[in-house]
Amino acid sequence: MARETRQADNDGAQVFTVELLDTGEVFACPEDQTVLKAMLALGHKGIPSGCHGGGCGVCMVKVERGEVRSLPMSAEHIGPQQRRDNIVLACRSFAQSDLQLSVAGKMKMNMKPRRYGFV
Amino acid sequence: MGVMRIGHVNLRVLDMDAALGHYIGVLGMSKTGEDEAGNIYLKAWDEWDRYSLILSPSDRAGMNHIAYKVEHDSDLDALRQRVEDYGIAVEEVPAGTLQYCGRAMKFNLPSGHEFYLYAQKEFAGKAVGVTNPDPWPQNRTGAAVHWLDHALLICELNPEKGINKVAENMDFMKKALDFYLAEQVMVGPDGDIPAAAWMFRSSTPHDIAFVGGEKMGFHHCAFFLDSWDDVLKAADIMAMNKVRIDVTPQRHGITRGYTIYFFDPSGNRNETFAGLGYLAQPDMPVITWTEQELGRGIFYHTGELVPSFTDVYT
Repeated sequence: MARETRQADNDGAQVFTVELLDTGEVFACPEDQTVLKAMLALGHKGIPSGCHGGGCGVCMVKVERGEVRSLPMSAEHIGPQQRRDNIVLACRSFAQSDLQLSVAGKMKMNMKPRRYGFV
Repeated sequence: MGVMRIGHVNLRVLDMDAALGHYIGVLGMSKTGEDEAGNIYLKAWDEWDRYSLILSPSDRAGMNHIAYKVEHDSDLDALRQRVEDYGIAVEEVPAGTLQYCGRAMKFNLPSGHEFYLYAQKEFAGKAVGVTNPDPWPQNRTGAAVHWLDHALLICELNPEKGINKVAENMDFMKKALDFYLAEQVMVGPDGDIPAAAWMFRSSTPHDIAFVGGEKMGFHHCAFFLDSWDDVLKAADIMAMNKVRIDVTPQRHGITRGYTIYFFDPSGNRNETFAGLGYLAQPDMPVITWTEQELGRGIFYHTGELVPSFTDVYT
């Protein structure tokens, strides 16, 4: 990890450090903000951003190191296998410690080839 | 006369309280019913039938079914015959199967989406009444959307495997249900592969739309607003409520609508859609968008297709 952070932000919330292994991006993540929102708020792009409601599944990440707490996520995308593999949706997950994440969505949608307009 | 308009959509939600906070608090719909399964029924102020949205508690987001209203009860039998002649099995379900509705015809579009036709739904009335009415009601919260306007369904499109459910739906809607094609997107090396379609039965550019994607899904349902000012105000209300906005106010090239794309708390995409676009008529020439100008067709100002438009859906 680039640095260990346990400082409080202005609201008194603990702030953790999140590292995205795919891109090397590192950003601060308050405990009361989802990992995805915290990433976007600081202008990072490493995790694809979709519906922010746990429904579409594009922000799927694997927690390689650290602990998260997650709100309900669509069973279409997060089933028993994903839970065993520590895969969560970044839009529904809050950091409980410093984190290392890798992008696990089947579509790294920003890089997808599109031969027929939409697909 | 056959199909008149979109009747309702049934969406799955992960958190009912959060969903009601969104559809009632932010969009300004009213709760008009519930059933033993925990489904909640909602209507917008300018609608007269009892509901246009059913929210169903579920462990996943997305759409259960979509329903269109026909003018006469006898249309149900006539259209059932047409759908069966087309080669699609139809199940007639008795009154009350669709809550607060008369008998209905149930089938699946070629794309797989569950589709109902019904002729009767319990009457509730517009919020402003019908005798010397005010132009709008004062007692609404949030964006105060007028009515459910249309829905866009994602249909499997994989030309290399010979799969094009957009084209199949276009053909079915035209031949079996008498929908008209307002606009289409044609893609591929020869520009001959239909990748999206906007179709109507009313006099607006679309009552339903189909766009090609990886697999069948629900892209959005849209709620009508009067004007560009209303769209801006709706976006402000969404920002105040921390609603996830996908695309901030702008204009569609296709249909000419003024739009905001945003998500409900379960990740189902909504749109507020303003402007009637143009008068759509059965003899209107079909508008075609090419792959090169597809970006401008969807988002007219930037002209850039955002990946979330086709990859983020439920």
